Amino acid sequence: MHKQNKYTVSHAPFWHDGDTISTMNLNIMAAALPAALFGILQFGMPALGVMTLAVSTAMLWELLFNFISKRDITITDYDAAMTGMVFAMMLPPTTPWWVVLTGTFLAIVIGKQIYGGIGATPFNPAIVAIAILMVSWKGFFDFDAAVLTYDFDFTPLAPLAALKHQGTAAVDLFSLSDLIMGNQIGSTGGVFGAGIIAGGIYLILRGYIRWEITLSYIAGIFITAIIFQAANPDLYAGPLFHLFTGYTLLGAFFLATMNAASPVNFIPMLIYGAAGGFMTILIRNIGVYPDGTVFAILIINLINPLIDKIRPKALGRGVNNA
Amino acid sequence: MIKRPFFQLTSPKLRYDLIESDLKEPEKIPKPPRMIILLDEQLDSTRKIRIEEGDTVKTGERLFLYRNSTEYTTSPCTGTITSIASFTGDFGEVSTYFVIERKNSNEQLNEFEAFADKPELESADRFLRSLPGKPPFQTFTSEANRIHTLVITGADMDLRSTTCQYHVVTAFDEIKAGIQILEKITGITQVFITIPEALRQNNGFEKTQMIRTTPFYPDALPEIIMKDHLNTIVPAGSTCENAGVCFISPEAVISLARAYREKTHVYEKIVTITGKNKTSHRVKATIGTPIHRIFSHLDLKTNEKDRIIVGGPMKGFSTYTLYHPVTPDMDNIIIQDRADIEYVSDYPCINCGKCISICPANVPVNLLVRNLEADRYEDAADFFDLNSCIECGLCSYVCTARIPLFQYIRLGKHQLQLLEAEQKMEAANA
Repeated sequence: MHKQNKYTVSHAPFWHDGDTISTMNLNIMAAALPAALFGILQFGMPALGVMTLAVSTAMLWELLFNFISKRDITITDYDAAMTGMVFAMMLPPTTPWWVVLTGTFLAIVIGKQIYGGIGATPFNPAIVAIAILMVSWKGFFDFDAAVLTYDFDFTPLAPLAALKHQGTAAVDLFSLSDLIMGNQIGSTGGVFGAGIIAGGIYLILRGYIRWEITLSYIAGIFITAIIFQAANPDLYAGPLFHLFTGYTLLGAFFLATMNAASPVNFIPMLIYGAAGGFMTILIRNIGVYPDGTVFAILIINLINPLIDKIRPKALGRGVNNA
Repeated sequence: MIKRPFFQLTSPKLRYDLIESDLKEPEKIPKPPRMIILLDEQLDSTRKIRIEEGDTVKTGERLFLYRNSTEYTTSPCTGTITSIASFTGDFGEVSTYFVIERKNSNEQLNEFEAFADKPELESADRFLRSLPGKPPFQTFTSEANRIHTLVITGADMDLRSTTCQYHVVTAFDEIKAGIQILEKITGITQVFITIPEALRQNNGFEKTQMIRTTPFYPDALPEIIMKDHLNTIVPAGSTCENAGVCFISPEAVISLARAYREKTHVYEKIVTITGKNKTSHRVKATIGTPIHRIFSHLDLKTNEKDRIIVGGPMKGFSTYTLYHPVTPDMDNIIIQDRADIEYVSDYPCINCGKCISICPANVPVNLLVRNLEADRYEDAADFFDLNSCIECGLCSYVCTARIPLFQYIRLGKHQLQLLEAEQKMEAANA
């Protein structure tokens, strides 16, 4: 046989739908952009500083870890950038630089890389970082203190902290439209409810997050908050107040849905989401923390492997020879 | 290639191709001067050979490699064997190929003629195994299966292929005649034929019942047909044949009818070729024609690093040589340009869940692949439903991390078989 061309030989299937991890992460970042940009407009340059520092240092930590562990460079999948962005969205706008730096280290190195990197994280890395920071430097998560020097034309109080300290009397201080349109004090990316919802719906339609988790999470928030409110309307706020304050919407669309730490089967997704919503309200209403989202998501991440065992029977399983 | 749509709330649906309404006569590929035929048996220097290089063969002569061989292939031409060598396929399955230098004369050896008047399974198996479409006579004779149902696959199983539909549309009467012969030689009375829903085809098949398949992949695959239409679920790790159902291509039925009508073996088969510009050609080629002959006849170009796919894009295999011959069961060839080849990666599973929502067999692919990557084949089969996989390839198609999932699964099944064979042997020796 004479010399001939060398052909590509590989295994079926020979088609692919064209999706990649980097497009997925770029889409998640694009979806987070409306809420993030609004936060930057609302809180000014410090918020932009925190955001850019978080994204860049998250990527740097990952690069550094790639070098130290002598593994392939993985920052090009934008997973570190996405984690850094989501992390920054949960920070108060005036967070000091060293807290951001520590936080991205916690997210990327402690939360992600030591478990084996992308896909192997038992907890959402951004949530791990926020949880450790929250426990270690509680003061920096006092949103009221963070924006003390600002001048706002709306109620200058963090809604959930106000609820904790003043009881349901605080609820009347905030109009629902203010909360939805971002006229509240909170984290950079967490205040603009409408923006988060728009980005989240975009992700659901594109198939990058699983709607089952988001919907059941919101349903969990609603049902639990309604039960609490019905039990004692003087003590507990209603579901809409809970939905548009704190990290709730970020949790529903960007945090609980993080791929590696959430279930993939239908019923487990519903349980996971609902449990998240339930725990969030539980911690807010009877726990010591004003916002329970972070710890609630840590808990549902923890139960994910267990509940994801509930799955449909595979074809031909348990069938005796016909 | 079908790409992901911009909005994708549910899993993607891949559509089967429907045959064109203005059918053209397939182009006939002339018999090449050198033919290559494959035989499903390994070269083994310890056995006594029956045929060797330099021997002359007649058209219709059955070629056995060794004295006690039971496997044979039928020579499509008269000529001299110039080369006998090993051919390695996927997973190292070794077969043997013969190169036959064709002579101008055409000497026939028609051993089948004496048996053609009285159709019997035994004689059919003895002479007609390498008919176009590869009729599965051994499935009927095997003790392990008690076949009670025949399904003719009038709906193509893989995407981009319309060869089976072409046979149903053009050779309706021959299929009917073939079914009668099959019923006679096997004694099976329950015969079905799958037809795509959208194909206008009246039920003229008398006793044969039609199964209308949806236009969506993988609804025409055997296991899905069994589940959806025959109300039988194939147990995990078993086959349709074990469950008593035999799937047979329409071409096999047609060539059986022709062989009995003409009282001789037939060698020509229909193949659909899709070139780089995505246009399809249908050709009539003799078994044993190297595919480069077809390409040059149709003026189709291939370049370095292109991919030549035999079969469909989801379940086919890619060949490394243009000397790959037309085989009895080859329906479809696709030339994929190097620019259209999507990369695969060694990234870990990111647990996005797309494979879970698309898997027609409910296999927990995300957990399965973690075990397969770690070579834990037994655990994969016991706890993560490795054997339930019906090998449709959809998980690989949607994988965001671009893990070659289907390849892992096939490799896992292969390794598991080796492992089980080894254990059986150890148990026997103990």
